[in-house]
Amino acid sequence: MARGKALLSHHPLVLRWDLDKTYLKSDFHTLRGLVTIPFEKPEDKVAVPGVVPLIRHLRRVAQEQKRPVRVYFISASPPQIARAIKEKLALDGIEYDGITFKNQLQNIMRGRFRNLREQVGYKLTQLLRQRPQEPVEAQEILFGDDWESDPVIYSLYADILGGRVRSEELPEILSAIGVDPELIETAVELAAAVPKADAVERIYINLERRTPPALFQPFGARMVPTFNYFQTACCLYQDGHLDLAGVEAVAKALLEEAAYQPRRLCNSLADIERRGHLHQAVRAEIERCLARAGLLVASRRPLPERLIGWLRERVTGKRQAPRVVLPHPLHEPVIDYRALVVAWKRRHEETEASA
Amino acid sequence: MPTIALDAMGGDFAPFEAVKAAAQISRETEIELVLVGDQKQIQPLLERQEYRPETLQIHHAPEAIGMAEEPHAAIRNKSRASVCVAAELVAKGEADALVTAGNTGAAVLACARFFRTLPGIRRAALASVYPRQTEYPGQDRFALLLDVGATVRCGATELVQFALMGSAYAKRISKVPSPRVALLNMGSEENKGGDTLVEAFLRLQHLPGINFTGNVEGHELVKGKADVIVCEGFVGNIVLKLLEGLAELLAEMAGGAARESWRYKLGLRVMESGIARLRELTDYTKYGGAPILGFEHLAIKAHGRSSAGAIANAVKVAAKGVRDDVVREIRALVEQ
Repeated sequence: MARGKALLSHHPLVLRWDLDKTYLKSDFHTLRGLVTIPFEKPEDKVAVPGVVPLIRHLRRVAQEQKRPVRVYFISASPPQIARAIKEKLALDGIEYDGITFKNQLQNIMRGRFRNLREQVGYKLTQLLRQRPQEPVEAQEILFGDDWESDPVIYSLYADILGGRVRSEELPEILSAIGVDPELIETAVELAAAVPKADAVERIYINLERRTPPALFQPFGARMVPTFNYFQTACCLYQDGHLDLAGVEAVAKALLEEAAYQPRRLCNSLADIERRGHLHQAVRAEIERCLARAGLLVASRRPLPERLIGWLRERVTGKRQAPRVVLPHPLHEPVIDYRALVVAWKRRHEETEASA
Repeated sequence: MPTIALDAMGGDFAPFEAVKAAAQISRETEIELVLVGDQKQIQPLLERQEYRPETLQIHHAPEAIGMAEEPHAAIRNKSRASVCVAAELVAKGEADALVTAGNTGAAVLACARFFRTLPGIRRAALASVYPRQTEYPGQDRFALLLDVGATVRCGATELVQFALMGSAYAKRISKVPSPRVALLNMGSEENKGGDTLVEAFLRLQHLPGINFTGNVEGHELVKGKADVIVCEGFVGNIVLKLLEGLAELLAEMAGGAARESWRYKLGLRVMESGIARLRELTDYTKYGGAPILGFEHLAIKAHGRSSAGAIANAVKVAAKGVRDDVVREIRALVEQ
């Protein structure tokens, strides 16, 4: 049984997924990877552990809730490898409603070499183009990774839809990022035309690169950086988009495919709670369920120990462990994109240099 | 993989360096780590690091013992101090070893309070490695000196037990098949140093299972004549601090000379690689901390001024000690 606010909603649900490093374990940051990726067969491509059951169960739960659900993929890879990717998705049994590839050939033909690596302009315009195809009330959940600019792109997209980025502000932000002027113009036009609605519920960032989670705090509580898809599944369960069977399936995938151990699942669960993305009660609920399924050992201490802890808290006034208060994603301050872009670019350049 | 309880609140730069070390360990190794300390302080620091949450736990401890606090009073009054909670976790089997860069006295007392001493062992010993000359190819560049402060004054029995513990530790950690054990004394003859040292000498001489080579004098400490040097805590601590002080003095003198004359500066530049090697050899951050021996569980005390790298090395040594079952080796040798 899924929990939370999604139970009450019958609005269509749109799930938008980045492909490389979010769905697929792509190695395009090494020369070897760059050379081999175009020749990879579908069966050679590897999905990030847990992502396949997660997408399948998200769809199932939405359907059970009688919500229309659509899954889209957006990739910065060229359409030349589309066939292999589509076959891979079919192999994984992933049903999807659309997939977009970046026409790199066009960029080369037009001499726009800068656009080959630049993702913000490309992805933002694609997202804004696709949005009017959905009903205004459709809610979106976005999935990306920490390798390139997904956090900035998704955040901007969410705030454009929510009417929080003014039309005169957008060119300035995009130009600071280094987006091609032609794409800036297109983005501004699309942003002006897109129907305004607070449609993006959450943005999940797969911390494939282990970027420090604190760096995502300026993006607000709407953005949830997660270290694995088990953490993502737990948060989606909290929001009512997944049921415990879905969380269990993702946990099982991690145990079987990624050599996780029950203790590592426990640690992941504790981490996402400590970072303020998961309520203590939800964590306990998930823990109980997974312990019943034999997937992890419940961290519940023996009764005498808990009693002593409780008494000690009463006597000393010191808590056993501080409780984390979850911020509400919609009660957050407006993002200062100018400052954020400067900081994000600096960090991106630093990591590129160190890599 | 072993689980190590790391006292996050111990050390001059706690909790920052400990948290940084924990993140480093989580990225570089598969060691399971329990970071023990004030969660409110630890969590924001951790979130600023690149880490892997899968191998990292935070165990909240509301109190901490300062470096300058009187150990007995601190342990008595702060039962929920991070070092106590970490030791308790090890004692309960939730972790395999303890690592702390905090107050040395408090660390030893926390171990004494929560761990049982090994059967037959009367007092704990704090052992430390230090650089020395090598006498043959393949010889470990470091020797083990114990005790360096856990038991200030010792009788002959304690010295004999320290010899056994040091020998077992060197066998497992430094992989020396038959470590040479010596007593630190004021002369090489067996009748030197007073009743305690004479008695210890005689008992060690006839002790099976260890390779006792006799007495060594102060100047021989750095010559590679022995792999394990035994002395009481008072002497050991002075020797250790003297070695550290000398290393610092040499570095300072070299710097001073370079400032004084361009010829010295040129000379130092020529010897740069050699000096770098020397610096590396005398850098305590590379040693991985001092083991507290004599208990049923392993504890490693890192230097109070430890950086993240030094603490991470201490954690790695603790994990190695657990994997190589140092405690069982010591127990076997003592029972023999």
